[in-house]
Amino acid sequence: MRDVYVIGTGIHPWEGFSEKVFADFAAVAVGRALKDAEIEWKKIQSIMAGIFIYGGNAGHLSGQYLESIFGETGVPVVNVYNACATGSAAIRMAFNSVAAGEADTALAFGADVSPKGFLTAKSDNAVQDRDVIRWKMTAMPNPVYWALECRKRMAKYDTTEEDLAQVKVLMSEYGSKNPDARFKKAYSLDEVLKSAYVCDPLRLYEICPVSTGAAAVIVTADKELIRKADRPVKINATTMGSSMYGDPTIRISALSCPAVPEAPMLSESYSASRQAYEKSGMGPQDVDLLELPDNSSWHYLVYLEVCGFCKEGEAEKMLRDGETRIGGKVAVNPSGGFSSHGEALSAQAIWQVIECASQLRGRCGPRQVENPKVAMAQTYGLMGNSGTTILSV
Amino acid sequence: MGNTKNMVARIPNLVDWSTGEVRLMSAKCNSCGTYFFPKEHYQHRPGCSREGVEDGLLPNKGKLASYTVQYYPCPPPFKTEKNITPYGIGLVEFENEKIQVAGIITDTDLKSLKLGMEMETTTLTMFTNEEKQEVVTWAFRAVK
Repeated sequence: MRDVYVIGTGIHPWEGFSEKVFADFAAVAVGRALKDAEIEWKKIQSIMAGIFIYGGNAGHLSGQYLESIFGETGVPVVNVYNACATGSAAIRMAFNSVAAGEADTALAFGADVSPKGFLTAKSDNAVQDRDVIRWKMTAMPNPVYWALECRKRMAKYDTTEEDLAQVKVLMSEYGSKNPDARFKKAYSLDEVLKSAYVCDPLRLYEICPVSTGAAAVIVTADKELIRKADRPVKINATTMGSSMYGDPTIRISALSCPAVPEAPMLSESYSASRQAYEKSGMGPQDVDLLELPDNSSWHYLVYLEVCGFCKEGEAEKMLRDGETRIGGKVAVNPSGGFSSHGEALSAQAIWQVIECASQLRGRCGPRQVENPKVAMAQTYGLMGNSGTTILSV
Repeated sequence: MGNTKNMVARIPNLVDWSTGEVRLMSAKCNSCGTYFFPKEHYQHRPGCSREGVEDGLLPNKGKLASYTVQYYPCPPPFKTEKNITPYGIGLVEFENEKIQVAGIITDTDLKSLKLGMEMETTTLTMFTNEEKQEVVTWAFRAVK
């Protein structure tokens, strides 16, 4: 396997509902990545595209749509979907194709335009698509799943409403310093605690919405391109995980879960992160900054444990002691996280990796972590999808 | 629970009231011992032969393992004649079957919800169809 480096990244800033076309968003991000890498389109030998599931034929073949904008070159184009870990799958395939020597330089991208209103069932066939059952029979939008887990956590440990609110305070402080974030207002603890419950114990400001955004990464093993690049970032490992039997988490779209745990919580993310630690020879102790999926304040806390940054039940203490702040033991979500961006399904995992790369390249201005050497991006997708990427300089 | 003769589940094969009690329709794998809900949501232990999967009903009663109150109306395809928001959602544990099942909480003071309290499975009428049948889902309520 060859060493693989990130040499170019590009983001279309996150925003709300848009009348614009997803491919135009993708083209902005990819154009910026090409410019950052200082390479021509013809250098891309493989394209790994995250699918935009609400985009019909165009969204399902997003790679073809993107390729035709820049000029069709006949290279392999693979379109992939792994829920909110879609971008992780695209990056992993781009990495593997370059590491194995199939291509020297590959592109991974994702672009998503938020559909107007709530995300709900995508079919009407309850036999084939169990997701229909939860929408017709149990009235459970995604945050309900997080609230059910959060309630369990609060009973098991001493999580307080202030802890949940403090996560938003911290995320909004960083988000206010990130030009690519959608939400740029910094909130006080009082403001968060006064926001309405969506599904208690989770409040409006403690869950993330859906957004529009695009992100692209160019990876290479081409020594000449690496030499020329502005502060190339090495990918030490990029992995995917799925759930393990006996995982007690109630997974989004499921209607039941095991009562007796036989596997870790969020086992798909446990699996992805442990694979990454094994492949990279690194562990949480080596990581200077972590981008984790803070879909809700509960996620922020539980992911510190799932990824092994502290023991079970100790995340609140890490938060209270400031260990997760920029300048603390591990800087968590210096980007402002999903809390400041909102989810853009196929793009978000790639944007997380870009934040890691940008931090390692020292490009993050007022939210810059001091001199980081190792960064980790962790994703979470419904029905047991997860990816971990560890990068270093 | 209303007149059961005039009730129909919005989606079949999930909830049964033929025994006089409302019970969830599960299945058990006799090889790996795992219970499934819905019964087609197979969750076999890796390496299981998957032989001898048998339909069965979960008990009527279980314990509240978690809950939330949803303060915003659920978007379609969820449909009710009357506004039920805010509504409770519970995760009810059936101890012997080692499974927790989610469902709407009905007929219960939401302020009285406590982890560990005993809950029973019931039905909730969501709307009346063109054949004048009550279209129901399963739901949980506090045992009185």
